Amino acid sequence: MDQKPKLSDINQGDSLPSVVKQITQKDINLYAEASGDFNPIHVDESFAAQTPLGGTIAHGMLILAYISEMMTTAFGQSWLSGGKLSVRFKAPARPGDTITTSGKIDSIEHKEGIPYVNCSIESCNQKGETVITGGAVVKL
Amino acid sequence: MPPTSFDQLAVGHEFPSTSYELSEPVIGKYLEAVGGQQHFLTSGIVPPLAIAAYAMTALSQSFPVPAGAIHAAQELEFLKLVPIGTTISCSGKVAQKVQRGPLYLLVLEISALNQDKEKVLSGKATVAVPV
Repeated sequence: MDQKPKLSDINQGDSLPSVVKQITQKDINLYAEASGDFNPIHVDESFAAQTPLGGTIAHGMLILAYISEMMTTAFGQSWLSGGKLSVRFKAPARPGDTITTSGKIDSIEHKEGIPYVNCSIESCNQKGETVITGGAVVKL
Repeated sequence: MPPTSFDQLAVGHEFPSTSYELSEPVIGKYLEAVGGQQHFLTSGIVPPLAIAAYAMTALSQSFPVPAGAIHAAQELEFLKLVPIGTTISCSGKVAQKVQRGPLYLLVLEISALNQDKEKVLSGKATVAVPV
């Protein structure tokens, strides 16, 4: 795993390395088993079909894991210890969806001599609909 | 006394702490589920979202989550590296419970400590629950 990136290698406006994942019901079931979250909206297709969502959806924390993967690739251990995330789940990710997670560096600011990188982040499905939107801050 | 229904869950309620040993098989299963990032196994560090996932599960197993509840928003802060093999203790409390039309918005504060009682993760989850 990459160690902390150098501040000199980070620039406002830089894009973060995008992560593309296809979601299957098998992935959702695996995540339910790994996390212990068996909410039927994720794993019970007959239950989910009768809800306003009309079918199963992926765990929000599964999609967040893709965002964290992108941030880990970009910032290494600075993300793992010193990262902050604030997001809204705007639309469900469903089995069959391809989720593309992307982001960019909005600004770099210094507080008491410590650099903080402010990023905007987004996950979209194959139709271009926003699934997750929000921001992240990394203390370098 | 723990709440026996969602209606009984009140602002200020503190969930009992739940411990998880983040062993290599546990983290391996998590990484398989999220589709890769095997470098965490070689570096011996727990992915921070795995800690968050267990913190959320700890809460959801502490009270009867109504079927159909969905995640609306999430804040997380990763405070310290967590080596694989660490036992974490996850806890949380109800910060807000507000009815908005056909939904309750439940705001839960979460945190995780390592075995040295150092906070490794904190956050806030907003869950939308059908009335």
